Amino acid sequence: MAKETKQTWQFKQSPEEVWEYLTKPELMEQWLMKTNFKPVKGYKFQFTFVAKPGSPYAGIVDCEVLEVKPFTRLSYSWNGSTNDGSRTFNSTVVWTLIPKEKGTELQLQHDGFISLDDFTNHNSGWIKCVEKMTDLLNSSSHASSNS
Amino acid sequence: MQAQTLDAFQVIADPSRRQMLMMLSKDNMTISSLAENFNISRPAVSKHVKVLYNAGFISIKDIGRERYCTLKQEGFNELQDFIDYFDKFWTNKLKKLETLLNNKTNKK
Repeated sequence: MAKETKQTWQFKQSPEEVWEYLTKPELMEQWLMKTNFKPVKGYKFQFTFVAKPGSPYAGIVDCEVLEVKPFTRLSYSWNGSTNDGSRTFNSTVVWTLIPKEKGTELQLQHDGFISLDDFTNHNSGWIKCVEKMTDLLNSSSHASSNS
Repeated sequence: MQAQTLDAFQVIADPSRRQMLMMLSKDNMTISSLAENFNISRPAVSKHVKVLYNAGFISIKDIGRERYCTLKQEGFNELQDFIDYFDKFWTNKLKKLETLLNNKTNKK
């Protein structure tokens, strides 16, 4: 079971150019969401979006800038919630830019969905546990279908 | 005692409930045998069990006088769906970024 989102993308542009798109609200809006972001550590900002009809999400993500290392690393907290307030989640987004001969490697890590992280830290065997559970479930459903 | 319905993340945020899931991942257990492993009151154990049940992490079967708890996939699926949702979300956004950057380069 995955506990985070991790992606790596290659761009032909330089880290400086990619960085602009990660940190300038007018550029961020074009591919991500409307935001009042500022690349200042400790700065609190929001992403806003129009939630799809039927989506439980409230259309606002509350964030705080955690780390700014120009052209290299950017991270912010990412706290979302649902309309009815039944579900909230705290997580962290980390962007890492690595200069490459022909551009930039951009890494994204979105994790720390608090309790999940806590879960895995708490017991490193958790993933194995879930795998085992899946096996168990599969075998028990076989057993019951035979009976 | 009121048993709330919590979402999957709230359910596993509690250490006792995590431990119960761990124990149940090894074998099915009765509520009484689960309770023996905890230094909390029996009603408190029952409450945790109810929370796990309500959120789809376990099913409960009455056999004779005993109530047997078995893990259920549903609750775990919600956790996985959530992570999958963000994976798709970011793939979609980063594709847009790629297009934007490429268009910009081509205009030069």
